[in-house]
Amino acid sequence: VQVMFSRADEEFRLELRSYLANTIDPGWNQPGFWSSMDGATGFALRRDWERDKALAGFAGIDWPVEFGGRGGSAAMQAVHDQEMAAAGAPRSANQLGLSYLAPTIAAIGSEHQKQSLMAPMLRNDTIWVQGFSEPEAGSDLAAVRTRGDLDGDEFVVNGQKIWTTQAVFGDRIFALVRTEPGSTRHQGLSLLLIDMHQPGVQARALKTMSGEEEFGEVFFTDARVPIADCLGGVGNGWRTAMLLLSFERGASGFSYHAAMRRMLDTMLPMLREARGGDVLGDPVHRQRLATVVAQIECLRYHALSVLTRIERGEDLGFEASATKLHWSETMQDLWEAFDDALGADVTVAQSAARDGVGSLQAMSLYSRSVTIWGGSAQIQRNVIAERVLALPR
Amino acid sequence: VDFALNQDQQAFAESTRELLEHHFAAAEVRALYDDADGPAHSEKLWSTISEHGWLAIIVEPEFGGLGLGLVDAQIVARSLGAGTIPGPWLTTILSIEAIRLAGDSAHHARWLPGLASGALIGTQALDQQVTLEGAHASGQLTRVEYGGIASLLVVTDRDGRIGVLELDDPGVQVHPQPQYDLSTRFVTVDLADVPATMLPGGTTFAGGTTDVVDQLLRRAALLTAADLVGLARESMSRTIAYDKQRVQFGRPVGSFQAIKHELANLHVAVTMAEHAVLYAAHALDVGLPDADLAVAVAKSTASTAAKDATGAMIQLTGGIAFTWDHEAHHYYKRAKRLAASFGDAAHHRERIAQLVLDRGETR
Repeated sequence: VQVMFSRADEEFRLELRSYLANTIDPGWNQPGFWSSMDGATGFALRRDWERDKALAGFAGIDWPVEFGGRGGSAAMQAVHDQEMAAAGAPRSANQLGLSYLAPTIAAIGSEHQKQSLMAPMLRNDTIWVQGFSEPEAGSDLAAVRTRGDLDGDEFVVNGQKIWTTQAVFGDRIFALVRTEPGSTRHQGLSLLLIDMHQPGVQARALKTMSGEEEFGEVFFTDARVPIADCLGGVGNGWRTAMLLLSFERGASGFSYHAAMRRMLDTMLPMLREARGGDVLGDPVHRQRLATVVAQIECLRYHALSVLTRIERGEDLGFEASATKLHWSETMQDLWEAFDDALGADVTVAQSAARDGVGSLQAMSLYSRSVTIWGGSAQIQRNVIAERVLALPR
Repeated sequence: VDFALNQDQQAFAESTRELLEHHFAAAEVRALYDDADGPAHSEKLWSTISEHGWLAIIVEPEFGGLGLGLVDAQIVARSLGAGTIPGPWLTTILSIEAIRLAGDSAHHARWLPGLASGALIGTQALDQQVTLEGAHASGQLTRVEYGGIASLLVVTDRDGRIGVLELDDPGVQVHPQPQYDLSTRFVTVDLADVPATMLPGGTTFAGGTTDVVDQLLRRAALLTAADLVGLARESMSRTIAYDKQRVQFGRPVGSFQAIKHELANLHVAVTMAEHAVLYAAHALDVGLPDADLAVAVAKSTASTAAKDATGAMIQLTGGIAFTWDHEAHHYYKRAKRLAASFGDAAHHRERIAQLVLDRGETR
């Protein structure tokens, strides 16, 4: 057993840590900073900071050098994820592209797709958004209705996608589309890489329960996309989509562990002052918070295990479902424990504890979404039961 | 990073399971279990595991040991848990640790070879206190595991001093204690001025502490957590195997989502506890700064996961699992006993609260 990273990985950690310390404005992590500006301004700030970071050589850590990446190992990528979360780096502006679409293109894309799409994505010159869910196709993704009809060497796309993160800021959308007329369920689907800057594509923001315009809807009205912009082959859309979803970042537990320990660090000073200063002495709240801390620590041990399996070249199977279920429910438990510890101050923005509570409320409310997106907790349990434990369907 | 057993350790893990299955099958476990007045100890099993070095793992080679660590020892603990195997392995290992960590070289030479070879059976009462005065021990102890067959007993007093005494001394009175987990045997021990060999202690551990009793209790908690994850995983596997073939309403009950989701939750909980046990064992072996936190995480999560998994074993197997003849109660009762031993989940969560909520330590 060895739980330490290599000397080279640790040197990379120090290099990255220094870059982050020099480029992340401390003000960005002050309570209320991001909510004080409109969504487009905040998005541009995140996009540009991330672009500069890529140009400085701190992006695409485990991508091949030929696509602009650093050519590093899975362990280096894990170190990167830990440091980003621990430093409170701005949220990625191109998360769905970088984490899911890019490895899919690298695995099954055409040579032209690899050469033309990867590097601009890494530099945030192209912001990618995901078009999977539809109003009638949520957990039941195979029910998608958006259709693409062949017209010459183009598909003409009509339909609607929903829950698209950053929909209004997207340049291109990777969308699961029914390209075979009359097909049903998993047959006849294709993953199309559609240009959003055309008259047939309209994006509209949806306001979330935390008041943010985090996601949106995308409407296709005779939108056009060349056949060459299909990823993974026409009619293979289901397989391509499943491959894409399997790239829940290998050792993502490192990142969520660091993020949740950081959240806890933000909470603790407030909890020390909440309810007249005695809430952390209350055994009920101590036990609940400690239970969550144990779950957070387990996430790091689990990530070490996942990273080891990646480095040993083992098949991870459906391990990502256990990872997702564990981190998402742990994050929710953390915020529920925090909210309950605040007591009656939970809903007021300026509490007896501290002014900053208001900015944490958005994070607390956001945590209700993490057990839904990317495969709901219930879907993950089905996957674990059927694919890992081999229980009958 | 290489967070997994190495090849030798993997082979050892497989061989421990195979050895128990071939040399000590379920019927033999049951025979010991059902003989409530018996010792819950098999000479045949004891000599087999002694020959295979299971008692020698953490002892230095100069005293007849293998010179390995807790990562190796927790492999045995998991296998014993998986089979709900009775016997004084853990009590002997903990006596070895006490003598190893608190004793001097003369103590090592006197006892470690006998304990490592299985010639001596040891036990301990480190979670209770006796009076140690002038190298004599007095007091009353309860729940002393295998105190009826052990020859050595390790005790401690309120000042954290450690003494070793011989249980065949005339000042020792041992009485069996009625109990419901019959995969071990508890006794009360009354000590009346029993000669004790005082161990000097004085070792400085990672983090600068010299509190050897605290260090020993952590090792005890870790190995107990290992037994718990072993039995939790096995009880889950048995439940899943049953629910795959048990048909009700014309279909295997394992196809019902209510059962699937409960088993999926248990799988995640047991998996996380397994990782925590391995991490904590390694952390103690090499003295990582977060070893204290890791042990508390391991024992609290393993205790909860094992109680949940064995409770579910009864529920998701149904009425047959409530009978004496079904093995579910072996798992359930052992989980109950071990979850409460060396600090229950709440105790270890309080430790986590002290380390992280009060001190903001160890990231």
